[in-house]
Amino acid sequence: MEPTTQELMVGKIVSISELNVAVLINDEKVKYHDMLYTYNKGKKIQFEVAEEEGNIVSTIPFQSVIGLKKGLPVYKEDSGLEIEYSDAILGKVFDSYGNLIDQNVIENPNKRNVYSRNLTLEEISLNGGILWTGIKVLDFFAPMQKGFKMGLLGGAGVGKTVLIKELIHNVYTGLNSNSVFVGVGERSREGKELYDEMKEADLLDKMAIVFGQMGENSSARSKAVFSGLTLAEYLRDEKHQDVLLFIDNIYRYVQAISEVNAELSRVPIENGYPANINSAVSNVEERINSTEKGSITSFQAIYIPADDTTDQAVQTITTHLDGQIVLDRKVAEKGLYPAVDVFNTTSKLIDIDKVGERHYRLVEEALRYYSRYRELEEIIAVLGIEELSQADTNVFYRTRKLRNYFTQPMFVAENYTGIPGEFVKIDDILDDVENIITGKYDDYDESRFMFIGKFNG
Amino acid sequence: MSQFVEGLVNAKLRNMKQMNNVYEIGHVSMVKDYILEVEGLENVGFYERVVIANHSVGYVTAISKNIVKVALLQRTAEIYVGDEVVTTGFDFCAMYSKACLGHIVDIFGEDRLIGEKFENLRPCMIETPAIPIMERSEVSRPFYTGIAGIDLIYPIGYGQRQLIIGDKKTGKTQIAIDTIVNQKQRNVICIYVAVNKTKKNIRDLYDDLMKKGAMEYTLILAAFNDDEPPVSYFTPYAGLSIAEMYMREGNDVLVVIDDLKSHADIHREISLLSGKVPGRDAYPPDIFYTHSRMLEKGCQHMNGGSITLLPIVETRGGDITDYISTNIISITDGQLVLSKKNFEKGLKPAINYGLSVSRLGGAVQEKNMKKLGAVVRRKFLSYLETSEVYQLANTDEMSPEMQQALKDGQAIQERLLQYKFSPRTPDEIMNDFYEIIEE
Repeated sequence: MEPTTQELMVGKIVSISELNVAVLINDEKVKYHDMLYTYNKGKKIQFEVAEEEGNIVSTIPFQSVIGLKKGLPVYKEDSGLEIEYSDAILGKVFDSYGNLIDQNVIENPNKRNVYSRNLTLEEISLNGGILWTGIKVLDFFAPMQKGFKMGLLGGAGVGKTVLIKELIHNVYTGLNSNSVFVGVGERSREGKELYDEMKEADLLDKMAIVFGQMGENSSARSKAVFSGLTLAEYLRDEKHQDVLLFIDNIYRYVQAISEVNAELSRVPIENGYPANINSAVSNVEERINSTEKGSITSFQAIYIPADDTTDQAVQTITTHLDGQIVLDRKVAEKGLYPAVDVFNTTSKLIDIDKVGERHYRLVEEALRYYSRYRELEEIIAVLGIEELSQADTNVFYRTRKLRNYFTQPMFVAENYTGIPGEFVKIDDILDDVENIITGKYDDYDESRFMFIGKFNG
Repeated sequence: MSQFVEGLVNAKLRNMKQMNNVYEIGHVSMVKDYILEVEGLENVGFYERVVIANHSVGYVTAISKNIVKVALLQRTAEIYVGDEVVTTGFDFCAMYSKACLGHIVDIFGEDRLIGEKFENLRPCMIETPAIPIMERSEVSRPFYTGIAGIDLIYPIGYGQRQLIIGDKKTGKTQIAIDTIVNQKQRNVICIYVAVNKTKKNIRDLYDDLMKKGAMEYTLILAAFNDDEPPVSYFTPYAGLSIAEMYMREGNDVLVVIDDLKSHADIHREISLLSGKVPGRDAYPPDIFYTHSRMLEKGCQHMNGGSITLLPIVETRGGDITDYISTNIISITDGQLVLSKKNFEKGLKPAINYGLSVSRLGGAVQEKNMKKLGAVVRRKFLSYLETSEVYQLANTDEMSPEMQQALKDGQAIQERLLQYKFSPRTPDEIMNDFYEIIEE
């Protein structure tokens, strides 16, 4: 493609590095988030304006800049970054920049800018019913509500993605609503698998997918979430639906903006994060809310770098959440999946007024058992089990049963466990937990509680 | 006469100008180790190959208002401020010819054993665009390493990226070598990428593979630790470009990258030297992307070809939760953790079965192997966990169920032992473990 006369030339390239191209602007007006482009050996390369200083603007290139030269003319697009805004989004796969990547074509596209306003305090609505996921450990320790933001935190390789896929499987089949899946900086293989699985299960026409995966450059990974949000907002605001939003993985968004930040030579804070990390995260999270007319319920996977839960990015994201599920390597090491750390797994719903007294008391009691067990483990390592008092022996064996009971065969993990998945009802969970704690199941061997649904003796 | 010559020269010059065949010349203004600053290059492209003082080669890493930055790739003599830098009009590329297979080569297409370049070298882009999501297909064909602990418990499939991670001297490279040797007659092209290795290491590896008859289908793409750091940095990317070329022709390729921790350190060194902002542990903020775009090349392509990747990471004190390790674990499709303790106890391969993971699991196993593997894994993991807790307990007082579980666990552990260069076929593995489960 060669430039035509209708294109608006705005300036010339003056400097180039991998993620930062500076453009000397002539008399045209250029603002933040404007989209510019140039041609390199016949290929179009787009840039987004990130900084302005006098007549020089710093831009972030969307494509590879290999071969780009100083002095190339730069043109301006009519509008900034846009994505399709209509019913046509369902069943389609987009890249971070709103382009279809699944060989589909949308006729007469109806596009909209991906940077939208946040909701006001007045517009936000908090009401919603409890949403059972059928996963024992989640429903018991961290129940979910419509309109909630639930975080799934975990280090590398402890099972975040499997859990998110199980949630998609369970919540989707139970709740008749549309959803948006945003893949940010995760594996392309998993992305394709999700697509194939949705297609096979005939659920693809209820989901819109945006991928900016880990093989793509920083700008792609930093934009995917905005494109995805715009799709979810369409379903909420225009179609008045209850939307499910899955983001895997929101940490990668912060990671991507750190990379961009470094290329713009801005001074970072600890661990290389950008100084504006708070507003960058708020700009995304504040858009994920519910109104009187429609709701967005979101599950967000959060990667914990270097298993460091005090990490700045992780902390910044979790302030926005209504609940969190924390996955722990020590639990995974024992082969107990989902590898949930029950002490740090919480939800705003764990409240007498919300889940009822029985559930609340059982959670308290279970946690008491777990924390005593943790202490007993150290004692046993030195003295052996025989030295424990009767009460402690009970706590020890019952907690081991409890711990085993909270493993679960998952539908999407049949390949690892060889056992078909199970959806467990909350009443059964409460009964079983009560029976284990009160000692009704004392006579059963602990191995009987591993990877089962509800306990059948 | 002189007029005639002048006419000739002018005509030549005119021709050259019309064909844009005149190369720009700039001058070195700063030398900082292997990073140069060059003045006077106005039309050079980003990533363009440049020649310095007629003897050394570099490429453009940044273009700014008045200078361009050049990273050196080959330095054959000293470089002085003021030396001439000539552009070439070509993007910097690796050179490769299919005749390289079976040899130790570098990214410039030179046989490192005899120091000569191969003939018919073709340029090979160092970084190709990511393989699109929609071109990938499911990873499902079992890839046999010949090691029971892997093929049965944490299996690998064609197109999978499985990390091998552990301390020094725990047998990381050996697992990779065993895997390469086991590909004989399986029609897999193997590429061993050495980053920052000693020449002795490479010689050893070459001799081992030669002895086992595995060099026929193996390429050793090596950057030594005395090469210029940018060369070490590019070597794995070049290796994967070569792999991608074979894959797009429909071949199955295995790539071993030994190791990525060194690669991360080299990237840190180059970034800091070029004045980039450091992040966690002084690694540049793009360290994740550095490895993610590399390892994302591993895939099962819809045309039938595949790239299976075995990256290796070295840890310290058995800590797999440091920054680089967790980054890479979060990219790969699973990890084989090797433990020093097991190695010292003689439990070889020294796999820590508790910490190892295969995210694909049974999806890449043949039906019977999958069934058996799931049972063995569950039994063995619960054995490892319970044997720890009940170490001090009296075995006689245990329930018969528990006693049997402990006995089975021990039997599994014994049968997982396997020495180097002693591959087992899937059938052998099935036979060895069926007995335990049957009992």
